[in-house]
Amino acid sequence: MPLPKFDYTRPKTMRKLVSALAEHKADTKIIAGGTDLVVLLRDKIVRPNYVIDVKGVRELHKLSWNKLGLTIGAAVTLNELLDSDVVKQKFGVLWKAASTLADPTIRNRATLVGNVCNASPAADTAPALLVMDAKVEVVGKKGKRTVAIKDFFKGVKKTALKPGEFVRAVKVPNPPEGARGDYLKWGRTAGEDLSVVGVAALVADSGEKLMRVALSSVAPTPLLVPDVESAFKDGGSLDEKIERAVSIVQSKICPISDVRCCKEYRLYMAGVLTSRVLKRLLGVADVQA
Amino acid sequence: MSRHKISLTVNGQRYDVEVEANRTLLQLIREDLEMTGTKCACERGDCGLCTVLLDGVPTKSCLVLAVEVDGHEVTTVEGLVQGDEINAVQRAFIEHGAVQCGFCTPAFVIAATALLKRNPHPTEDDIKEAMGGILCRCTGYRQIINAILDASKSDKK
Repeated sequence: MPLPKFDYTRPKTMRKLVSALAEHKADTKIIAGGTDLVVLLRDKIVRPNYVIDVKGVRELHKLSWNKLGLTIGAAVTLNELLDSDVVKQKFGVLWKAASTLADPTIRNRATLVGNVCNASPAADTAPALLVMDAKVEVVGKKGKRTVAIKDFFKGVKKTALKPGEFVRAVKVPNPPEGARGDYLKWGRTAGEDLSVVGVAALVADSGEKLMRVALSSVAPTPLLVPDVESAFKDGGSLDEKIERAVSIVQSKICPISDVRCCKEYRLYMAGVLTSRVLKRLLGVADVQA
Repeated sequence: MSRHKISLTVNGQRYDVEVEANRTLLQLIREDLEMTGTKCACERGDCGLCTVLLDGVPTKSCLVLAVEVDGHEVTTVEGLVQGDEINAVQRAFIEHGAVQCGFCTPAFVIAATALLKRNPHPTEDDIKEAMGGILCRCTGYRQIINAILDASKSDKK
């Protein structure tokens, strides 16, 4: 089946990209990896008259790291991210999340920025970016603005992008000293499926200093759970604190039933995975780990 | 709709073609260049049967626009044969009976050839991970994994 009709352009400079996008605004879709867009075009879920390819702009292919953190350009693929030793060593939670997304063939093409802009509730890299407090660099005709990742997701497949704007890069600050992170994905099969539930966590010390938990597939957007750190402020054993964190997580999410499972199972597994990831990061024995 | 003049190399041969913006790489290969070894199935990136090598990297051609591959190099299953010789992966697939209905075979063969180039001695887990994006509807995975393991032991890859 042919795809619906559209015009395609591949600007070579940022300036041309910005003006091409400003010209047609809402009638335009950006293509980077295309692994989401082409499916949406085929299903006629999006019907742009113009498709603008960001891969022609050299600077958008840049993956760089300095004392401020990691900068992931809009055209950087997930496998380029996974091939980076810096990402693996210093941004372990992001590396792990990227490694669970779809399958290796898709990851040769799919981009991290595309995963963010597609804004699926099940976006695997989103919980990792949320616990890492990433920033989204938005560019439009009026200039540049920075949006915190937790403010970027506005609903199912909805973002804070205005017509005529696009994401130039996602910036991930270096994690605090001693921080440890992990992402656990629960799915029906080992590869090539969206998550039933995904849980990312970033902790330091025994959780008093730093405790962030974020989930995918349990709400209209990927969700950074507020107040999880309060579970670690009061007394009790580490096991009791983790149990309190699980209760907080389960009280703040609102999963739905869909083709993958029912909401009750999602709620239950969100608790199991939260407990499992926190036990793993805090060094508590877990028979199921 | 915009039309684009593109040049690409497929299996070592250069092609100058004109494509409409909505043409996929898969349609270009099968319908315009008439190389039907690459299969068309789900057309949504789930099954991986349209896998080709784009600049040597396994890529699902149903999710790539033809216009995006201007200036790039594509290898399809037709390009694995050297003269009259099939490659070690293809030989191993025959020896292990790793072909049932055969529809997924071109994709597995091409992805496995790329895997062995990148990682000449993969473990069984490496193979399962690398082949994760391709579905065999007959579910004959055991023979496929054995064939790739065997091909990795061959001198001629």
